[in-house]
Amino acid sequence: MTTGSIEQSERTSLEPPVTSTLLLDWVSTLDHKRIGIMYILTAVFYLAIGGCEALLMRIQLAMPNNTFLSPEMFNQLFTMHGTTMVFLVGMPVLTGFGNYFVPLMIGARDVAFPRLNAFGFWMLFFGGLLLHFSFLTGSAPNAGWFSYVPLSTKAYSSLQGVDYWIIGLLIMGIGTVSGAINIFVTIICMRTPGMSLQRVPLFVWMMLMQVILIILALPALNSALSMLLIDRWLGSAFFDPTRGGSAVLWQHYFWIFGHPEVYILILPAFGMISEVIPVFSRKPIYGYTFVAASSVAIVLLGYGVWAHHMFAVGLGMYADIFFAVGSLLIAIPTGIKVFNWTATLWGGEIRFNTALHFAVAFLLQFVIGGLTGIMFAAVPIDWQLTDTYFVVAHFHYVLIGGTVFSLFSAAFYWFPKMTGRMLNERLGILQFWLWVLGFNMTFMIQHFLGMMGMPRRVYTYADNPGWALLNGISSLGAVFMAIGTLIFLWNIGTSLLRGKVAGDNPWDAFTLEWATTSPPPPENFTVIPEVKSRRPVWDLNHPKNADWKTEKTPPDKGIRPNMAKLAAWSFIASEAVFFLLLLIAYVVFNTRSGEGAVSSSVLDVERTGIFSLFLISSSVTFWIAERFLRAGKKSAFVFSLGLTILLGITFLAGQVWEYTGLLTNNITINTDLFSATFFTVTGFHGIHVTAGVIALFVMLMMGIKGNLTPGKSHVFGAVGVYWHFVDVVWLAVFGIIYLGLLQ
Amino acid sequence: MSSYFDLTSELWKWNSPIWLLVLSLTGLYFLFHRGTSGKRSVAFLFAMFALAIAYISPIGVLSDGYLFSAHVIQHLILLLIVPLFLLLSLSESATEALFSHPFMNRLGRVMAVPFVGWLSGLGVMWFWHVPSFCNASTENYALGVFRDATFLLAGLAFWWPIFSPVKRFHLPSSLAVVYLFSACLGCTLLGIYITFTVISVCPAFANPVDRLGIMHFLYDQGLTPATDQRLGGLLMWIPPCSLYVCAIMVVLKRWYAEMEQTASPKTAGTTSSLREARQ
Repeated sequence: MTTGSIEQSERTSLEPPVTSTLLLDWVSTLDHKRIGIMYILTAVFYLAIGGCEALLMRIQLAMPNNTFLSPEMFNQLFTMHGTTMVFLVGMPVLTGFGNYFVPLMIGARDVAFPRLNAFGFWMLFFGGLLLHFSFLTGSAPNAGWFSYVPLSTKAYSSLQGVDYWIIGLLIMGIGTVSGAINIFVTIICMRTPGMSLQRVPLFVWMMLMQVILIILALPALNSALSMLLIDRWLGSAFFDPTRGGSAVLWQHYFWIFGHPEVYILILPAFGMISEVIPVFSRKPIYGYTFVAASSVAIVLLGYGVWAHHMFAVGLGMYADIFFAVGSLLIAIPTGIKVFNWTATLWGGEIRFNTALHFAVAFLLQFVIGGLTGIMFAAVPIDWQLTDTYFVVAHFHYVLIGGTVFSLFSAAFYWFPKMTGRMLNERLGILQFWLWVLGFNMTFMIQHFLGMMGMPRRVYTYADNPGWALLNGISSLGAVFMAIGTLIFLWNIGTSLLRGKVAGDNPWDAFTLEWATTSPPPPENFTVIPEVKSRRPVWDLNHPKNADWKTEKTPPDKGIRPNMAKLAAWSFIASEAVFFLLLLIAYVVFNTRSGEGAVSSSVLDVERTGIFSLFLISSSVTFWIAERFLRAGKKSAFVFSLGLTILLGITFLAGQVWEYTGLLTNNITINTDLFSATFFTVTGFHGIHVTAGVIALFVMLMMGIKGNLTPGKSHVFGAVGVYWHFVDVVWLAVFGIIYLGLLQ
Repeated sequence: MSSYFDLTSELWKWNSPIWLLVLSLTGLYFLFHRGTSGKRSVAFLFAMFALAIAYISPIGVLSDGYLFSAHVIQHLILLLIVPLFLLLSLSESATEALFSHPFMNRLGRVMAVPFVGWLSGLGVMWFWHVPSFCNASTENYALGVFRDATFLLAGLAFWWPIFSPVKRFHLPSSLAVVYLFSACLGCTLLGIYITFTVISVCPAFANPVDRLGIMHFLYDQGLTPATDQRLGGLLMWIPPCSLYVCAIMVVLKRWYAEMEQTASPKTAGTTSSLREARQ
């Protein structure tokens, strides 16, 4: 697909809409700005649901021994509140802002893959719907947002709630990873000339870090969800300790995803704050490189400290010490940023409007959330406070005090660009104070409740001294936040109708999105300003004080990798993590001291070895086909590609043969842990080979019809990246399962 | 219960042959690097100090068949610390002169291929922890010396694309970040495996021969073979990764300072041609 055709389709969609086609226009849109707005609206819709769930819980907890909600209902509410807020509010709203503003801020006319972008959104949308259908069955998920096993296994959660949870999250996960790959490729490949990666606005940089986290962390969740689904539906025992499975493994896998998830939710918020504070201080950000580089450190360290969520499990003293130190290290890059933002404000010509109000509140509240985070890195404190309201207070200070406040800040900052109208400042300040008051009432109090020993996730509590009053205050605070939100929605509504007209750049801001009209046209820009520094629009509007005259930044070398190949590489990076975790599960469950490999007694290693050769040689024939394509030799290309497909199918036939043999010998996925891990790993690999064969077949048809010209060899190359990856994975599978390496 | 101080004489091995290597390297360095900057000399002295510590201190003594975790520390010093500081200690001009020779230039270029360095660094880490090799190299002195030599050489190869004194051998920054991050992933996997596996990765450490009579002391400290292996796995996992993250920070610092091409007409040409292509 070409960008041109999309622009054309968008232009036609701009003609005065008849009401009946307006909906169709939005539903079928490929414009990143509209998709961005749809992401944000979806998030607002689910915010209303998740918020109501929170209000119901706070009503229940407002007084001791309350019977407003049943315990079962309470479990469903806190599970759905957590899941909704993380997956259907936090991630979509950030992705929405990213979708809308990343292309504008890098001077691109569109995203790299508009159709993939729309696909990602609709997967998320329908995944969310599916998750909420569970309410109609009468049993919404009720095992907590991290669905710890064995509680979430069939034996303890026999209704469909958890199944909806798993499938909903899997579908949303596919959408999220697709969206992340799209943003990643857009930032790397579609920057306007002059916009080196060292000059991108910090929001773009943070989005880049965020999508890297999504691409590499989400597959950990997907692998855990797959195993849980197989446990529940096919009767295997990955997570059933009574049959040799491991409950702790679920915790490891969940938190390998779950901890980076925190940074997925907070890094874009850092980016928003890094845009708002400089603009309203009339200064460039203090220490751009520090802020950018420290977020790289956060991303890297974020992968290595998941086990601090598991101190109470009993990992052993040494593991506790190492993970505690690793977690404490993250305070350094995070702390640096707070100083950067403060120093940016220092001596600035401050315009203290609503956006900056929220940004400053962010700074203070995020510091509190960060400090309690450091407390939790200390193992003994964690042991004392884990599963109390102190934890609830801590992560709400990070996710509301941090992320939500920065989102409000960004909303006031960017609303004029998105709609052409200004939001009402007076209503904004009113909303701000309601939120500051309400938020701190609700959650500051919970620190004390946690210290007093009030456990989280329990539907009511006894009338212990002081608890009733504190819980009452906490519940009252939630009402303030709810009113604040209603005022915000009212503000949006009235401003859309009769807000002050914004103009292109009402804030005299610095980055490229302000160089176009408000709202921007479908093609984003008529003219893209020259980029010679980190603040191109400032340079344009203040040529005498242009940044590039005083501060040199690394110039653009013009490197823009091929989009298709980069997308393929980022996709297989994600897939690699998925397979890696499945293989680790295999090793965990099949390594028993002194027993040797179970696989050797069950599997026909030689036969599979021969079929493996077919698969490996298909990589060679693919490589040859690619050469022929580039050389323009059509028939030779078609022949060698056909051969590749044939070799792939032969391999699959070998796998069917092997499966048939095992199944006739009554070795099925629920026999034992060997068979469970074996069928899961090889089964997923088989699905990947099948998908590869289909992709190759499409390529073959295109080749025969003459649609695959040497000029499009990079598209074929991208499919090749995937095909070779599938082969490499098989080498690892063969080595570990069939040859018993690592056992 | 005996304490560390009662065992000082047993735990330090002052007569280690490593002094020969340290002294000869020091001699060579100051012969060829006369008048080198203070910073580089400090880096060199630190490399030599680390090298000596790896053998004469309790790390060296205990890694000789007693503690797997001590062996991991020694291994990390040899693979990551000593080569890194050796590279940092070399002056740019002297090394440039050396690598201007066609053969040396080719060698430098081969070492700058990221796959070579990555595979050497990760390869020796994984290879020497296959149980049979780990065992053999602990029990056989000559093989142990060979193993340590491969650590040093592989370490040089690993750091070369990042910290080579000759800038033209450096990896581009984005690749360097991927290089270091994936290396971190590699040692994380090995670390996880060693930490959590029920298999004895290096059986020689599971049943040590108590030459020095310190076994009781170690067990009293809680360093039983299972704990010892877990500690070894964690050491293999988190300190190298932290070091790689620091190296990534250095790479990023360099990346943000990439200013010299500003005036280059070639770059300006690329940029404007890209702009034209877009328009």
